[in-house]
Amino acid sequence: MASDVSAAILAPEFSEPEIAAPRRFRTLRELLRKKIAVLAIGYLLLFYVCGIFAPLIAPYGLNEQELTVEARLQSPSSDHILGTDRLGRDMFTRVLYSARTTVVFTIVIMISGGLFLGLGLGLLAGYRGGWVDTAIMRTGEVLSGMPTLILMLAITASFRGRINSWSFWLEDHTFLGDDAKTLVKFTIISMATVPFAWLGSSRIVRSQVLAIREQAYITAAESLGAGTPRILFRHVLPGVMPLFLVGLSSGMAGIAGAEVALSYLGLGIDDPAASFGNLIGDVNGSRFFEQYPHLLIAGAGPVILFFFAWNLLGDALVDVFDRRQNQRR
Amino acid sequence: MGPGLAGYIIRRLLWAVPVLFLISITVFAMLRLAPGSPIDAILGQRYTEEQAAVLRDKYGYDDPLPIQYVKYIGNLAQGDLGVSTRHRDFTASEIIWPKVWISTQIGFIALIIVFGLGIPVGIYAAMARGTFIDPLTISFWLAIEAVPTFVLATLASWFFALKLGIVDLGYEGVWSPNMIVPIMVMTLPGVAGVARFMRASVIGVLGEDYIRTARAKGLKEQTVVITHITRNALLPMITVIGLSLPGITAGSLFVEVGFGIPGIANESLQAVLAPDYDVVLALVLFGATLFVLANVAIDILYGFIDPRVRVGAGRGQ
Repeated sequence: MASDVSAAILAPEFSEPEIAAPRRFRTLRELLRKKIAVLAIGYLLLFYVCGIFAPLIAPYGLNEQELTVEARLQSPSSDHILGTDRLGRDMFTRVLYSARTTVVFTIVIMISGGLFLGLGLGLLAGYRGGWVDTAIMRTGEVLSGMPTLILMLAITASFRGRINSWSFWLEDHTFLGDDAKTLVKFTIISMATVPFAWLGSSRIVRSQVLAIREQAYITAAESLGAGTPRILFRHVLPGVMPLFLVGLSSGMAGIAGAEVALSYLGLGIDDPAASFGNLIGDVNGSRFFEQYPHLLIAGAGPVILFFFAWNLLGDALVDVFDRRQNQRR
Repeated sequence: MGPGLAGYIIRRLLWAVPVLFLISITVFAMLRLAPGSPIDAILGQRYTEEQAAVLRDKYGYDDPLPIQYVKYIGNLAQGDLGVSTRHRDFTASEIIWPKVWISTQIGFIALIIVFGLGIPVGIYAAMARGTFIDPLTISFWLAIEAVPTFVLATLASWFFALKLGIVDLGYEGVWSPNMIVPIMVMTLPGVAGVARFMRASVIGVLGEDYIRTARAKGLKEQTVVITHITRNALLPMITVIGLSLPGITAGSLFVEVGFGIPGIANESLQAVLAPDYDVVLALVLFGATLFVLANVAIDILYGFIDPRVRVGAGRGQ
């Protein structure tokens, strides 16, 4: 799989159309030649589609429960393809809704922490330099060295006491109704995750900006009188984007993992809303696993594959860019 | 190490001071402004206002926040980390350091295993580049990395303790054989990161001229891999090892909770939930300080190992 990619790149008769083709989709096309990357992208697409359309796909309601002995802890059957949990709720439905939580969470963090903070602060640090740069990078350095989980716990724990009053207020005063509670919890775990989500990507962006800033076309743009925003967005940003996306995809599993870990500890999304964290928390434990292995496999499997797919995709992207840089040398 | 390096180190250390202050103020304010209070934790559900007032006075919680903070920093400057309200009548130091020591020993063993496995795996994958073995090896470790620690803990303890019945899981000290499964759970997910880094590093070295020279003069492949490739590829690894050193003192929360290890990660979770103000603050500041020191130590080390590294000019760019 990897060998035919390198062969295609190294052999001149294959690399010619490469050069003629538009640069824009080069990364994507190089990526699609890797079978592992295709599988990873395919699974991620499936996961995101399932998450977004969870209410349409789910065969049962999220909290449709049946507390009879026969209905609880069922093995997989045609009625419940992944079985049922302790409260007789359909496991497949809960997995779909958990995927929805993960999907929304990763998108929220990607936009706020990754795009807004990571890209923004990285651009600022790299382009401005001086004390702005030092302040941003040193803060990032120390934040990345902090006991992240403890700080996340401290943040969630300190806001958690206010959850009820906030969510009751929202329930009464806005259109949100029952969703208000979940929304508030969601906001809190996002607040606990965002301060740590920008560290990796901003470092990547900054080093790219430093390299690009020295290029002749930036000097040319400056001497033509282009303003800072124009230079940043028209000239620097396009060069920064590819590696930024690589960094983002490598960090994705970690970001989604933070929500799962917090929810597992009971400090993130909890019942009645679904998250892989509380789903796994419900069915975890080696004795329970011995009796009902399908529940842990059903609850943890999809999200493990989700992390795995992001890891693989990140790895494949790094590989594509490494190879490109080696070629340039 | 010339004057440039010394100046650079001093600047780095000076930068750490405002950052640490900022962290301490933020965490301090966050803890104090949060709804829960140690008084509730100590006195439980029902208590009279007088009882609470006595305790508030004892711990100085009735002072305005800025005064409390200044007092805290004043004590900290004298090496006093404050008191633990969760374990009453103990100081924060008495609670923290024994548990930090437990976690650090475990973390150190885990660190050695992670790098001891990850480095050879990375070299192996890099040398097998172009064959299916390379992506297969890396993907295998990436798959393990994807399993959350609390799931891995369940699977490992089910397999080794219940199915095979070859180990017990109760905590009997750091050096008991019961620690094998917890340490395995702690280390296996970390191998992928080290292996990937090592792989990239080796691939970078493979393109260097001196490797071609070494091969051209007819050295045995084994000699080339060990003395020429590995030694040079290990150089960037110093940063990774150095930066993971402070982390080992923090312990692994899910491993400690999952296997009942009385380490510091377990304590920090309880301290955050209680809340136990001084213990949380001490832990956060301890972690941050160690990290800053590790960063500076890495820079000094590089100056000694590789004279080409010009600290101050090229570094950190």
